[in-house]
Amino acid sequence: MAFREINPKMVEATVMPGQKLFSQRGAMLAYKGEVSFTPNMAGGQGGLLSMIGRRVADEDTPLMTVEGSGTVLFGHGGHHVHVINLAGDTLCVEADRLLAFEGTLQQGTMFLGSQGGVMGMVRGQISGQGLFTTTLKGHGAVAVMAHGGVFEIPITPQRPVHVDPQAYVAHHGDVRNKLSTALGWRDMVGRGSGEAFQLELSGSGAVYVQASEEKL
Amino acid sequence: MGGRRPGGPERASKGAVRGDVHLWELLAAGACGYLRCVAMFRLQGSKVLAVDMTGDAVKAKNGSMVAYDGQMAFKKMSGGGEGLRGMVTRRLTGEQMTVMEVKGHGTCWFADRAAEINLVNLQGDKLYVESSNLLATDAGLRTGTSFTGLRGASQGNGLFTTTVEGHGQAAIVSDGPAVVLRVSPQYPLTVDPGAYVAHQGNLRQSFQSGVTFRTLMGEGGGEAFQIRFEGDGLVYVQPSERNTIAGEV
Repeated sequence: MAFREINPKMVEATVMPGQKLFSQRGAMLAYKGEVSFTPNMAGGQGGLLSMIGRRVADEDTPLMTVEGSGTVLFGHGGHHVHVINLAGDTLCVEADRLLAFEGTLQQGTMFLGSQGGVMGMVRGQISGQGLFTTTLKGHGAVAVMAHGGVFEIPITPQRPVHVDPQAYVAHHGDVRNKLSTALGWRDMVGRGSGEAFQLELSGSGAVYVQASEEKL
Repeated sequence: MGGRRPGGPERASKGAVRGDVHLWELLAAGACGYLRCVAMFRLQGSKVLAVDMTGDAVKAKNGSMVAYDGQMAFKKMSGGGEGLRGMVTRRLTGEQMTVMEVKGHGTCWFADRAAEINLVNLQGDKLYVESSNLLATDAGLRTGTSFTGLRGASQGNGLFTTTVEGHGQAAIVSDGPAVVLRVSPQYPLTVDPGAYVAHQGNLRQSFQSGVTFRTLMGEGGGEAFQIRFEGDGLVYVQPSERNTIAGEV
């Protein structure tokens, strides 16, 4: 367990020799021990090709590699931090919400159009995700940021969950998402309930939702 | 807290206990057997309101839904009372809250810009709250508008306020966790207009001004106006102050 939440807005990470951590650049608050921070030009793992991929996809949040031995405190912008432990499954999250993650996780980018074609791209635009999203896969812990507290809603095949695109933070597991519209004539005449677009998540896994409809 | 909070202390915001949800669904279903269907309000953490519904409806602030499971329908309504009279009051008072009616089966989660949520249980009494601080109410509760006069102007949010009346639960939001202060005939209460959120019960309010010669000279303490509550009831106060005229002199 690499991350420990010491209060709702800060996490403490333990760094040991041979174990890498990645974190958003500038998110270190304090550290103990011998720890080095090196800016990661590639913006994460992989070679030159994945770096170019991230640049193109606009998912290239400035990251830094944290190595050495000691403990590091992370926090950023007074946002709430939530630690998610992954056990072999894939987490989909926006790159700018990533605070820190363990080096054992495999980072990748996913084209939203690959899930549902054009509708996937439209969905990305509406939920503010853009056309691409970052995926993290494997075993390890991730610290994600959100405005307000984060809560988890389990998704089971019998119970699909609908989420406001603005309050969506991340999801993991075998989950398919699609944009469902509840557009009616009321929205056309400007009497909508403000809930015209929703992300419908179905499958099995969990979705993380923040207690606010504000972006980071 | 004035609100009834099923399940004892607040549940941790992380890792919702799914078992509990089923328990509440069972209880709600049981309650429906011999009573009318009532939406169950509960807090998930302090910033998220979860409402379990079984075919009944709740009124909530427009756009405050963050997630739901099951089947839900959202329909826009207008605050400030029903019918033609409500429409006229809304036009005149500017106290228009855009409300939506949420109806369906399942659990719906509401949140508003990471503000803290307080549950209020109403048993026939009246709750006075600023429309921007009202998050959700039971559909069975009546909402209306009332005149506040000078006090409203000093709070920095207009001359009118929203009233909620009936039997059921309501959720109000505050900037920071609100404290509930009891007012009794022996102990009147004075609050800062900027920190006032809501009040309920049989209370008389009066406007107090501490404006002196020094205030006019620009040497005021920043507490020039206060609201005084007398009678019997509860006042909700938030640990933060809105920008008011009173705070600046």
